Amino acid sequence: MLRPLPDLPPHWFQILLALADEDRHGLGIMNDVLERTDGRMKLWPGMLYRNLSKLVEAELVVEVDTPPGAASGGGRPRFYHLTPIGRRACAAEAQRLNGFVQAARRKKLLKA
Amino acid sequence: MRASAWWITALVRLYPRGYRERHAAELASAMHACIDRERQRGVNASVTTVRLALDAVSASILVRRDLRRSRRLLPTLHGDSLMQSLLHEIRYSIRLLARAPLFGALVIGTLALAIGANTAIFSVVNGVLLRSLPYESPERLVLLNKGVNFQETFGFSAPDFVAFRERARSYDGLAAYRTGEFELSGVATPERIKAAKISASLIDVLGVQPALGRGFTAEEDEGRQAVAILSDALWRRSFGSDPSVVGKAVMLDRRAYTIVGVMPARAPFPSSGPRLNNVPAAVFVPISFTAGELRAFGSNYNKTVVARLKPGVSIEQARAEAAAISRQIGADVYPAELRDLGSNLATTVTSMQEEVVGNVRRILYVLLGAVGVVLLIACADIACLMLTRAAGRERELAIRTALGADRGRVMRLVLMETGVLAVAGAAVGVALAWWGQRALLAAAPIDIPRAQEIGFDVRVLAFTLTVSIAAALLTGVLPAWEASRRDSNTALKEGGRTGSAGGVRQRRIFAGLVTLQFACAVVLLAAGGLLIQSFVRLMAVDPGIKTDHVMSAATSLPASSYRTAADVRSFYGRLLDGARNLPGVTAVGASTELPLTVHERRVFTLENPPAAAANLPRATAHDVVLGQYFEAIGARVVSGRPFSDSDTLTSEPVVIVNETLARRYWLGEDPVGRRLAWGNPNNHGPWMRVIGVIADIKQTGLAAATEPQTWQPWVQLPDQLLASNVVSFRSLRLMVRSQGPPAALVPAIRDQVRALDPALPVSDVQTLDDIVAASGGPQRFNAALLGGFAGIALLLAALGVGGVLAITVSRRTQEIGVRLALGADAGAVVLMVIRQGMTLVAAGLVIGLPLAFAATRLLKSLLFETTPHDPVAFTGATVVLCAVACAACAAPAIRASRVSPMRALRLD
Repeated sequence: MLRPLPDLPPHWFQILLALADEDRHGLGIMNDVLERTDGRMKLWPGMLYRNLSKLVEAELVVEVDTPPGAASGGGRPRFYHLTPIGRRACAAEAQRLNGFVQAARRKKLLKA
Repeated sequence: MRASAWWITALVRLYPRGYRERHAAELASAMHACIDRERQRGVNASVTTVRLALDAVSASILVRRDLRRSRRLLPTLHGDSLMQSLLHEIRYSIRLLARAPLFGALVIGTLALAIGANTAIFSVVNGVLLRSLPYESPERLVLLNKGVNFQETFGFSAPDFVAFRERARSYDGLAAYRTGEFELSGVATPERIKAAKISASLIDVLGVQPALGRGFTAEEDEGRQAVAILSDALWRRSFGSDPSVVGKAVMLDRRAYTIVGVMPARAPFPSSGPRLNNVPAAVFVPISFTAGELRAFGSNYNKTVVARLKPGVSIEQARAEAAAISRQIGADVYPAELRDLGSNLATTVTSMQEEVVGNVRRILYVLLGAVGVVLLIACADIACLMLTRAAGRERELAIRTALGADRGRVMRLVLMETGVLAVAGAAVGVALAWWGQRALLAAAPIDIPRAQEIGFDVRVLAFTLTVSIAAALLTGVLPAWEASRRDSNTALKEGGRTGSAGGVRQRRIFAGLVTLQFACAVVLLAAGGLLIQSFVRLMAVDPGIKTDHVMSAATSLPASSYRTAADVRSFYGRLLDGARNLPGVTAVGASTELPLTVHERRVFTLENPPAAAANLPRATAHDVVLGQYFEAIGARVVSGRPFSDSDTLTSEPVVIVNETLARRYWLGEDPVGRRLAWGNPNNHGPWMRVIGVIADIKQTGLAAATEPQTWQPWVQLPDQLLASNVVSFRSLRLMVRSQGPPAALVPAIRDQVRALDPALPVSDVQTLDDIVAASGGPQRFNAALLGGFAGIALLLAALGVGGVLAITVSRRTQEIGVRLALGADAGAVVLMVIRQGMTLVAAGLVIGLPLAFAATRLLKSLLFETTPHDPVAFTGATVVLCAVACAACAAPAIRASRVSPMRALRLD
């Protein structure tokens, strides 16, 4: 039995989502989230790095070596990688949100 | 660098250093990227700047808060060094304890008591037994004494010493000394001080150089010159540490002695011991044997000989040589009429260290063992507490495990907590020990040797450190192991409830710990009980005197002021008359010795002894008395009469004997009217007629067997003896019996003495009750200390069983509630809980009693008329232990019986 995971805060979800397809550095995550949310979620640098530290602490992401030929964000940036727990937590959150979306559909708030 | 760099740098600096060092470059470049991005989107730069500043300020505050929190919970996940993470863990442990102050105080208090007691006793063991004597190469120092097969050892006579010194080849040097007293005058208050008369060679034999000036020369010793060496204490006390004291005079017995040196503080002499039994001397003078003394074979065996073995000579070789020399001296040097005595005299050789500390070694090690056991019991108590506490921390520890802490780390966290507790306990304990050690020494009987050398040194502190580490491990390992083996998932699911899975196991551990405590406690209780019983039996011994309402005080007349026998007789005659006329006084007497501490021994001869007694060794304790001595001390006359005014210098010499002497030498016949004399059958003094028999009075303490004893009237001492400088007949101890409290007489007695001689000091003021109590001092001390430790052990063990039962009861609340709901009555519940507790106590007894049986054999030499397996002490120990344990079980049992069934069922 796997432990049930707590709900993720929205910005954690967005950060994990940004890392779901590839390892990114902080600036990469910032830009990805900005683009994906159409500028609705701006991760400012201070908060972004603080949350990355907390995600590392919670073992949802890990720092990895800079991949060869990766786009540089200035100096030698740290790259972050989604851990299996992080992936599971992100998926669980997506599932949860999906549940809300389904409910909204059932209530005819959204088109099917 | 861009123009905006400075404020970005400033913003980055808002973050804590470690964080900044890791993220500075990325933060800066991300901020630049934000500025660019926002500019492209047409946002005013100043708006972006403010936005970034707000972000940096709030993020830096949150990062700092995160750091603080994670230091508390997750010390090493920051990749800190081991040292840093240890510091974090220590801080975390202190914070945890601060949240449970009662628990912390209880544990620290218990540990402080146990560690403090261990430190205090060890400091005494260290000062007395482990540190070598404060002389040069002390392992080569030996003490020589004389002894006859059937008797205790005594000192050398002057001719024995000279003859022995001439023949001995095993030693680098030999020196003789004897202790005495002087009247110190010419200072603010005249007082009597302890003195040692020493051979000039003593200072070289000890290897201690005077701190000021020099030692005695052989010429000063032989030439009987009035020179003196001060002890450091006297130099400081009466001479104000005057560095130019050498060459000045000190008035001893009203004669001026030139001070030639001051001894160093670190080497007091003589050390006390079973035969040395002295407080260190305040002043040293040459022993200066007179020609008369050097010819006096067969008397004055009162000099102790200190000798330094040559390197490589063993004590056994020295003993063999001493035996040969003694035989030779007895046969060749003693005059023909004393050959009999001389050939019976053997020489004992004992190491000085053994002589000084031999008689306290056993009790000190026993006490050290006892406090060690107390520590063990205390640790078991704390281990129980820690186990309960670790159970309360299960959820926190489980989170740590879930977050990646391995087993070792969880153990370390729990051990860290006990470590912090042990350090705090040790710190308080050392303070307690400092105080306790002083109290111990103040309470100790005078004959704890080397008491002045007891203190705290590196070895004591190292011992304390070791004990504290041991305590931390003993109390922490089990809870740490238990905490680390708990499955984190179970713990998290149980949500901190201490459930059934660990419960059975933990109950077994608790049971083991409580059993261990009681096993230990019964050992100490049995030992304490034995010593207390021994002390009670000792105090029940009849000293042969009525000790209430009697005061004693000593005076000694210096030969320089009291030159003739008439002076001496007149002084004491007037003093006794004056004292007798004081209001409330019922009898006044005086003697050369105190009851229970009679030092003088004499060889005597009977006139027409019964055949059966002819070959008995003829040595007797002896005392010279004046006035109504027997009435004053409350001695009982069994037959004949006490001394009276009719016994004078010119009347027939008379003597009084004790019952033991009468029984042993006249085989129970009434000896009144018979005669005895000092000396051997073929060489004896004038006959003295026995006029009375006194019921036995103890001579060497309550515990010793009563020896034969004789008393002689002081008034019949010949003039030349009183006129000579033989101090013992000029120093008398006044004994005053009164109707009121004896202490009230002290000022009046001092006034009497002052009226007769304003410069004469009165010393050794004490009551007869004090003298008897002092005789039981060592036993009282042993019994009180070991009894006290046993009491502490019992208390701790009772706390242990009570605490464990309380925990068990609180965990079984539900079950007990169900029982009560189903109709069990409260009494049955009480019994159930008490039975549970007493089962553990019984298990402790089963293990402890055989241990106690084995351990108390060590006490054998410390017991008086009590066997080490005395059934009364063992039964008493068992009963007391069971009673206290039962009382300790009662509280949780009664609480269990009051559990409300409804509440218990709702608990979950």
